[in-house]
Amino acid sequence: MDKRYSLEELLAVEVSKRVVDDEMNFTGIGTGGKAYIRTCGIPLVAVRLAQLRHAPNALCMMGPVLDPVLDHDTIPSSNWEYDLIYWPCRSQIPLEDCLGMFRLGLVGLAFASGAQVDKFGNLNIACIGDYANPKIRLPGVLAQTELASHAKRVGIIVNHDKRILVDRCDFISGAAGHEDRSGLPGGGTAFVMTNLCIMGINPKTKMMRVESIHPGVTAEQIRDNTGYDIEISPSVSITPEPSDDDLRLLREQIDPKKLFLNAGITQDWATLEE
Amino acid sequence: MQQRRSKLKSLHDAVSAIPDGAKLAIGGSLIRKCPMALVREIVRQKKRDLTIYAWSAGMDFDMLIGAGCVKEAWSSYVGLFTAGMAKNFRRAVEQKKIRFVDISESCAMDKFRAGTFGLPYAISRVPLHSDLLKNPEFKEVVCPFTGEKLVAMEAFKPDVSIIHAHRADTYGNVQLDTIRMMDNETDIYIARCGKHTIVSVEELVPEEEIIRTPTQTMLPKLFIQTVCNVPHGAHPNSCDTRYDFDQAHADYYQECSATAEDFARYLDEFIYGTKNEDEYIEKLGGHELLEKRLGHPRRAG
Repeated sequence: MDKRYSLEELLAVEVSKRVVDDEMNFTGIGTGGKAYIRTCGIPLVAVRLAQLRHAPNALCMMGPVLDPVLDHDTIPSSNWEYDLIYWPCRSQIPLEDCLGMFRLGLVGLAFASGAQVDKFGNLNIACIGDYANPKIRLPGVLAQTELASHAKRVGIIVNHDKRILVDRCDFISGAAGHEDRSGLPGGGTAFVMTNLCIMGINPKTKMMRVESIHPGVTAEQIRDNTGYDIEISPSVSITPEPSDDDLRLLREQIDPKKLFLNAGITQDWATLEE
Repeated sequence: MQQRRSKLKSLHDAVSAIPDGAKLAIGGSLIRKCPMALVREIVRQKKRDLTIYAWSAGMDFDMLIGAGCVKEAWSSYVGLFTAGMAKNFRRAVEQKKIRFVDISESCAMDKFRAGTFGLPYAISRVPLHSDLLKNPEFKEVVCPFTGEKLVAMEAFKPDVSIIHAHRADTYGNVQLDTIRMMDNETDIYIARCGKHTIVSVEELVPEEEIIRTPTQTMLPKLFIQTVCNVPHGAHPNSCDTRYDFDQAHADYYQECSATAEDFARYLDEFIYGTKNEDEYIEKLGGHELLEKRLGHPRRAG
């Protein structure tokens, strides 16, 4: 792949196309490194790009920090508690009321990542192995259950790996899957983006299918790295490359220091590229 | 006229009131404003068989679990955030030394709120179709109005609640700084639903100061049984705009948490090896050094 753009830039531009005007977009506060890039860095840049393009009224929720100013010269150099508290924003309300927005159906796109994402789009960040006898105990479900059950759409960014893209989650911490959504107000998983491709849900099978393959990646690579038999249409499209104008906005206006796209704000610089 | 009752106690006396086997709710979240001095004293006094509740826990849970104080724990998260996984927690669950109940953020908050409202349970759609339902405490019920399926979750009714706050008077009127992380507003519910609530504060202030700023009194004294004056009482956690998370200490803690034996050495060094909180702070170089390393000048507002 030529290095005109990075994987983070490619994904940020693709996510931004999926941000809808007037909607609240949810990201967490994020920890550091790659996890931050997937759940916060790319989503925040994508929301800002969408605000500058087709969605001037889109909002975002960064934990209890609501509708933050996301212009590069107002972004603090770190996301420690002190900086979050003083991050220029339009509102800060109790977190229980932020989560209440999910329950009122006011959250459009919510971002998530996970240790496992299954073929239906469910998420797991609780444990690997049998719940009663776990091989690996992970930190816990956080607000993933809320976003999976109530956000209009869930957007997931993970590394393309057989151990992550599994047939069935060992534990469903977020019921974002499409096999049975009875009683759940939210729309569930809308897309899964990886270093290899973008996947969505086939409404007929309720299962994941590849919707576009990143430039330079083969269908075989995707099959080899997916933990189930993933649907790939022979006429599947190629993920469009970011335009020069997209790249200029990302690099000059939104995130020139790569605080978001390379997690610099967490003091734990990283990249999603291998 | 009789003297009004002061609720001010030493950490030692405050924690002495917590019986073994108590249901204990703990405030703060992740690496933010957990009542760590109270947690340390619970470890020092070797409390056993506690059931601990939080909505999002960090080193508080990890330390209590690693020190053998806990039989059951409920939280949406147990981790050290920027310092990594909670290793003592992970070991204890994987070796089945404790029971851990997964509960999502709003579900935990709802259970604290139900406790505060004096209701038997909270009701939610959030856990539907998720494996939170694997724990029998989550019960599917039918809405009497719409007929839809919902999940009932029993209210948290802690025997004791502990939180850390910014300031209080000796009578137990507890205030929070106006500018604070709104993540931790659940502390107010956690404190209110406890049958017995202990609050540690950064500073003790005269009652006149409370009367001058009553809208900051998020917890009037009716809810509070005990106040402990503990500057840096959240350390190594952060405390809103007052001081940062002590990443260096947390990294050391993590190094010591690699095995149960290593962790015993951490406890010997910082908890059992210090008689009280003053000695703990002294071991870290004293308040002034902590202030220099982690503190922020107070801004107006």
